[in-house]
Amino acid sequence: MDLVLQLLFTGIGIGSVYALVALGFVLIFRATNVVNFAQGEFSMVAAFFMVMFSVKLGLPYWLAFIVSLIGMGVLGAVFNLAVYYPLRHRTYLPVIISTIGASILLANATLAIHGPEPEVLSGWFDTPGFLVGPVYLDSQYLLIIAVTALLVVLQYWFFEHTLLGKKLQATSQDKEMAALLGIPVALMIMVTFVYSAVIGGLAGILVAPVLFVSIHMGATIALKAFAATIIGGFGDVTGAIIGGLALGIIETFGAAYVSVPYKDGFAFLVLVAFLVFRPQGIFGERVAEKA
Amino acid sequence: MLVTRRLVTAGLAAGIASPALIRSAGAQGATVKIGMVTPMTGAAAESGSFAQTGAKIALEQVNKAGGVLGKPLELVMEDDQTTNPGAVLAFSKLASQPDIVAFLGSIRSTQNHAMAPDMLKIGKPVGFGGTDPNLTKLGNPWLFRFRPNDAYSGKVIAQYGGKELGKKKWAIVHSTDAFGTAGAKALAESLPENGATLALDQGYANQSQDFTPVVLAVRQSGADILGTYFTFETDLGIFARQLRQLGVTIPWVGSPSIVNVSALKLAGPALYNTYGVADYAEDSSEAAKAFGKAYREVRKVAPDNQSSWTYDAVVVLAMAMNKAGTTEPGKVREALLAIRGHKGAEGEYNFDKNGDGLHGYNIVKNEKGDIKFDKRIDFTPNLG
Repeated sequence: MDLVLQLLFTGIGIGSVYALVALGFVLIFRATNVVNFAQGEFSMVAAFFMVMFSVKLGLPYWLAFIVSLIGMGVLGAVFNLAVYYPLRHRTYLPVIISTIGASILLANATLAIHGPEPEVLSGWFDTPGFLVGPVYLDSQYLLIIAVTALLVVLQYWFFEHTLLGKKLQATSQDKEMAALLGIPVALMIMVTFVYSAVIGGLAGILVAPVLFVSIHMGATIALKAFAATIIGGFGDVTGAIIGGLALGIIETFGAAYVSVPYKDGFAFLVLVAFLVFRPQGIFGERVAEKA
Repeated sequence: MLVTRRLVTAGLAAGIASPALIRSAGAQGATVKIGMVTPMTGAAAESGSFAQTGAKIALEQVNKAGGVLGKPLELVMEDDQTTNPGAVLAFSKLASQPDIVAFLGSIRSTQNHAMAPDMLKIGKPVGFGGTDPNLTKLGNPWLFRFRPNDAYSGKVIAQYGGKELGKKKWAIVHSTDAFGTAGAKALAESLPENGATLALDQGYANQSQDFTPVVLAVRQSGADILGTYFTFETDLGIFARQLRQLGVTIPWVGSPSIVNVSALKLAGPALYNTYGVADYAEDSSEAAKAFGKAYREVRKVAPDNQSSWTYDAVVVLAMAMNKAGTTEPGKVREALLAIRGHKGAEGEYNFDKNGDGLHGYNIVKNEKGDIKFDKRIDFTPNLG
């Protein structure tokens, strides 16, 4: 039983990381109908921002955190203007390729500026974790789980109960109609990119104390987060969260009870199963082509 | 000027022929070139930069001592992107330059396996650092290893754990790549002769984000000692932390990555009191100390095996060419095989007929982050 509880905690912890990154995927997909393959790099860049401000420049942790997230907001805006905006009237393919290019650019720019050394970032708390009965609770994972839960609530409130949230939803559902109603579509998409970059950055900063800060940290997480998004149903916020958590738990238990080397295999096996049997994901609606 | 068909044809011919002409001119050129496949991007970019520093220090020393055959030695580097396809591409780029007379392969066994067929085809000596014992048993006469192979590391880990630490029940955790699998196999095979048994053989895929299932398996196995073969320092760092968090405190003897500079930085106190087999240990010999000093002057930090093997490889390749009196591959190969008792940073080089230059390891201990040399265990090679 101890073993199960320990695995469950770890599964939920790592699943929350996937969920956070998946949220960024979903938001941009909803607003623009394209997948942003640079979402993982947002996490990596934010973690390096944090190292720069907190470790190298010695700012207090909370201040470094805020400055890093502001930096991510700016990056999101620039990303929108440089990567998405010039291609907004094209089909989804050039935009996707553009985001892949941006992801390579971000990774290599970080490599060029910082160098290849992985870095250590301390966590929010001085205590790395504590035992509850036989189960070790890593304090950083606890924080990640709490932030994910909080974001779900905040996001629900934001999209359903604020005017800006409703405008964003309208934009994602039908850009032309939204424009006719006087919603500034370009601005709404800009807001989405900024928000997604901040969320991706938040995930990166939260996970950095656990996984260390390295150039390739974003790519590894993003691949799983992408799978989580498909499992949850592309375009669905709750789906992304559930998909991320499910993936974290499945791979942790799969590794413990079936095979460790094939841990990643379980995640992608589930992904393939969903693509075959329920391509719309858990929460997605079946898309029927209109006549 | 009137552009005639003849002029265009002549221009095209010159354009096509000139790179070949420049290359052939270079073959008898002003320098002797060694090609180096090394990670500049990707997961191992950091350790790649250490390797490049080691090679450059050797280059400087060789050139200060008169170079190779009276000409300066030159290094031509290509990025392997820390991937097998990247390594193959990098090697083929270097191999297409006929004026490169010898090569440095990878420290990663899996990449050397990927490049080995092309290395056989090109037929020039290649120094490499991967420790999978199989690499020098491929029947490829051009491969020369500048680190001890894992048949030795397995033996040394088993012997140290059994005889010095008195532990008998092993858990082995290893990467499932060529290096990790071969290392774990060598260690498992060496256990019976040291009166020990295997309680757990646990592989993991590189770049894992979580090791909880692995640590729990170690905890449940009832092992009283842990032996590991980790490829990437970030994996090792995550594993070490989780191992301590979940309360596993049994003695731990790891493959060389456990004392790597990056691993020490990432894992910190989680690696205190662990043991490692290290092909490079600064206090193990005068040559190792001298290299340590030269490296510190450049990088301001202690060197590790990422740089010591490339240093040795460049020095030894230059030495072999000078002894052979030519860069002709067959003669250089014979000169390499004839090397006896060369004291390098990694140890004493005596190449056996398979191309293995080193035949023992140092055991070091992590004492609060400082790597202390404990002892060296050498085996007598069959120099046939």
